[in-house]
Amino acid sequence: MTSYDTVIGLEIHVALLTESKFLCSCNTSFGAPPNSQCCPVCLGLPGALPLINEKAVEYATRAGFALNCQVHYFSRFDRKNYFYPDLPKAYQITQDAFPLCTGGFLEYYMDDQLVRTEITRIHLEEEAGKLIHSGATIVDSDYSLVDYNRAGIPLIEIVTAPDIHTPKQARLFLEQLRLLMNYIGVSDTKMEEGSLRCDANISLKPAGSSVLGTKVEIKNLNSFRALERGLEFEERRQSQLLNRGEAIRQESRTWDERAGRTISMRSKGDAPDYRIFPEPDLPPLNLDPVWVSLIEASVPELPLERLRRLEGEYGLSRYESTFLVNYRDFGDLFLSLAPMGIEHKSIVNFLMGDYARLAREHGHLTAERIAELLKITSEGLISPAQAKEVLEELFSSSLSPREIVEQKGLQVVGDPAKLGPIVAEVLSTHLELVGRYKNGETRLFAFFVGQVMRAAQGKADPEVVNQLLRDELAD
Amino acid sequence: MRKLAQLLETRQISSTEVVEHYLSEITKQEPILNAFITVDAEGALAQARASDLRRQQGMALSPWDGIPIAVKDNISTKGLKTTCASRFLANYVPLFDATVVSTLKNSGLPIVGKTNLDEFAMGSSTEYSAYGVTRNPHDYERVSGGSSGGSAAAVAAGEIPWSLGTDTGGSIRQPASFCGVVGLKPTYGWVSRYGVVALAPSLDQVGPLAKTVEDAAILFSLLAAPDAMDATSADARAFPVPDWDESFIKGLKIGVPEEFFGDGIKPEVERAVTDSLEFLAGQGAELVPISLATNEYAIDTYLTLVTAEASSSLARYDGVRYGVRVPAEDSNTMFAKSRSAGFGSEVKRRIMLGTYVLSARHYGAYYEQAQKVRTLIRQDVLAAFQQVDVIITPTTPSAAFRIGAKQSPLEMYLSDLFTAMANLSGIPALSVPCGKDARGLPLGLQIMGSHFQEELLFKVAYLVEKYVGVEGGTFSDKL
Amino acid sequence: MIDRQEVIRMAKLARLELSDREIEQYQKDLTSFLSSGKKLQQVDVSAVEGTSHAVSLTHELRKDEVGASLSQADTLSAAPEAVDGFFKVPRIVEEQE
Ligand SMILES: [Mg+2]
Ligand SMILES: [Zn+2]
Repeated sequence: MTSYDTVIGLEIHVALLTESKFLCSCNTSFGAPPNSQCCPVCLGLPGALPLINEKAVEYATRAGFALNCQVHYFSRFDRKNYFYPDLPKAYQITQDAFPLCTGGFLEYYMDDQLVRTEITRIHLEEEAGKLIHSGATIVDSDYSLVDYNRAGIPLIEIVTAPDIHTPKQARLFLEQLRLLMNYIGVSDTKMEEGSLRCDANISLKPAGSSVLGTKVEIKNLNSFRALERGLEFEERRQSQLLNRGEAIRQESRTWDERAGRTISMRSKGDAPDYRIFPEPDLPPLNLDPVWVSLIEASVPELPLERLRRLEGEYGLSRYESTFLVNYRDFGDLFLSLAPMGIEHKSIVNFLMGDYARLAREHGHLTAERIAELLKITSEGLISPAQAKEVLEELFSSSLSPREIVEQKGLQVVGDPAKLGPIVAEVLSTHLELVGRYKNGETRLFAFFVGQVMRAAQGKADPEVVNQLLRDELAD
Repeated sequence: MRKLAQLLETRQISSTEVVEHYLSEITKQEPILNAFITVDAEGALAQARASDLRRQQGMALSPWDGIPIAVKDNISTKGLKTTCASRFLANYVPLFDATVVSTLKNSGLPIVGKTNLDEFAMGSSTEYSAYGVTRNPHDYERVSGGSSGGSAAAVAAGEIPWSLGTDTGGSIRQPASFCGVVGLKPTYGWVSRYGVVALAPSLDQVGPLAKTVEDAAILFSLLAAPDAMDATSADARAFPVPDWDESFIKGLKIGVPEEFFGDGIKPEVERAVTDSLEFLAGQGAELVPISLATNEYAIDTYLTLVTAEASSSLARYDGVRYGVRVPAEDSNTMFAKSRSAGFGSEVKRRIMLGTYVLSARHYGAYYEQAQKVRTLIRQDVLAAFQQVDVIITPTTPSAAFRIGAKQSPLEMYLSDLFTAMANLSGIPALSVPCGKDARGLPLGLQIMGSHFQEELLFKVAYLVEKYVGVEGGTFSDKL
Repeated sequence: MIDRQEVIRMAKLARLELSDREIEQYQKDLTSFLSSGKKLQQVDVSAVEGTSHAVSLTHELRKDEVGASLSQADTLSAAPEAVDGFFKVPRIVEEQE
């Protein structure tokens, strides 16, 4: 058995979150009745002409900077010609020879190891319409239905160098890329709605060899799981073929999610001849350097930068930092809370605890209300158990934490004069246990605390209770 | 047109009467001429009545409110069939107006109908129209030229006072020359292409055809405007109708390129042009012999680029959203059957050529090479305008040819020999009648200028027109 | 003479269904065009960039504002075949060459 090195390159299409389409002013919103968001331009009616949406260029530029690319002031649009029912003009307006961005990279963690994938290029192009097939798949359909609402939505195509080595790495890359796109606010990256799509090229070569193998393109990898599984399947399929001494066919394959396998679509031998040439209806882009530098300045803190800051500046663990980075809203909350004089660890514990579940259900609380809750808890005004009760109340109430505490009469009892009799009562009802404690069974201490708390209906200040118990039992 | 406008303004004549006059001319002449694909008599009369009402209320939209016009049938008119002279679009009714059509409507011009052309503007004689050839009003056995043959013939025959054409390689100027009218191919970008059905988007321009130079200038003054709907539209600038002051001719440098005279040009054509040149010299212009050596490559460059762009621009006619559909088992077969049934042979020929020059194996040798030669042609032309103010040549090497005379496509392509250069370099060029040959067929003279120099072209043309006169006069002359 | 197969390949790319007679005709036409076009290939263009647009234009980008779309009925009004608000097309098969 020879062992093989896997070489993977990805082509990712990201739908940009503009209000109107790339080349016309039709609405881009998802879920409208079919063919209700179309106009002469995006239907390819005779004589209609395209007009470039500035926002699409802005978003593509921002994506370029976020991916460490060189953004070119000069770029050009081209026509890529092919016939398909979802392509209204029978050509796609895209960028071929002079893309907007080239030569970038993305860094991300794989098993605690920082890895880097080169980005070859990013270019702007238009989306095609949507096909609905009469049968289960395109192959066994008698007819198809076309909806052009999606036609003309702006896309960026991000092409990586073939320097990804495992299916898992491909998934991690795509996850990080998706996170990045969310951070810079250019796309909602919903794979299930098709606003993030991924095709992969994969080839195998004998371990250590520098000669690339024949590459196979896999389409229809429409979830992170599909990407990883599709590549794993293909890795297996190709290595089996090679081990049997068979050649790999250069072809396009599609991932069949239900069957869990890739299926041949078209052999590359008859790859379409796209007859690409400069788009005469659109002058080249000549971006104003000042405008471009403003876009560059608008790039927010990116996931990896934030991760490093959370670990470095705030001393959080990789696990905690990753949580806050992956859930950017939680990260934002943390960063608002951090300067408010609360211990950083307790903020993270709070955010990752019950709060996470409740916030996902009901939406976030303001940093101010959270800070107050954490403060009164750490000051001992309320017990942890009471804090939880207040927290739940906060999501449905407009009162502040202190107001809720007051309203519910939740204040912690910390007065030894009030707690003393309760402690005495508890000890006197468990004389036998007190004896065992005094004989060295110190773990019973927690039991006594629990009993006191229960008797005090959870309102007792644990610090005071501890102190009182220790004093009593020491006698 | 000023006189007609005056009469409308003073309400000595109504728009309804004017439109009725032209409609009756159309009824009389169309059975032979075939300049129109669609005549919208009802619509035109309704627009005329609306114009008369506006005039009554003193709310005319422009001085030309109520003067009818015809539009080439590759320019979109909302609610009015736009066939491009193709079977593929035989029943196609646009959902929107081209910007130039909106302009006409906003100026109050009733649109009388849509004029004939070579299918998708591919041709030089209207013989490639799916709706039959347009005959030349000066000799019914001859072609009107093309592709804007219908627009030129209708004006020449007095079926309409003026019209819109499109020009990708000579398609306004050559028929203007054949029919004895004035036609302008404007500077690329000065007139909106929005709604104009594309042949070759980097070359196409809309322009005016009219009986007189002044009428063409008036129409152009309406059309020349920036359009936010067309990304290739030039910066804001208006075109005022020139004053016809003639002193500009003193010392004006007129370039006379040697490559456009002599071999291959009919002696009568050369004589008529030379005659006008001598007249202009007599008025004080300086004739400067120049060379435009790259014109040798103009036709091949033009054909390569026009077929390449056309093969792509016409790919949308696939039978999915509109137009012809021939039922078939699968989509690819449906595309091929529908396109083959809808397109005529010249369109298919050009699509085949364009596909070839763009295909991966041949792109470098043909398309890319032609783009580069285009740069050389452009440089050559712009260099000439460092030396001279305008360039004058014959519009075509000969007068209108007989219907059916051009047997091979290549022979037909040579009709654009003198005109393609202006499209390749984006400069304006105008054809003005400069006499007749022994058979009485009109001959045209082409004036080219640097970008946005239309005013100069009109002023020179005005002098030529003054010298040779306006054939047959105009409708308003007779009033 | 251009190869007949090449003509057939072009027709396929351009989605044109040609008769044998047409294939022959276009084979001739393409050949004669290309031999005339040979002249172009002799031109020295080593020092020039291609011209893709007739005049250099400044590119005004459109603001990202939603404008009116056509109604579904208008969009489908010229459709050779439409069902339930969709355009309908026959079975889609991948290109076989
Ligand atoms: Mg793409
Ligand atoms: Zn649209």
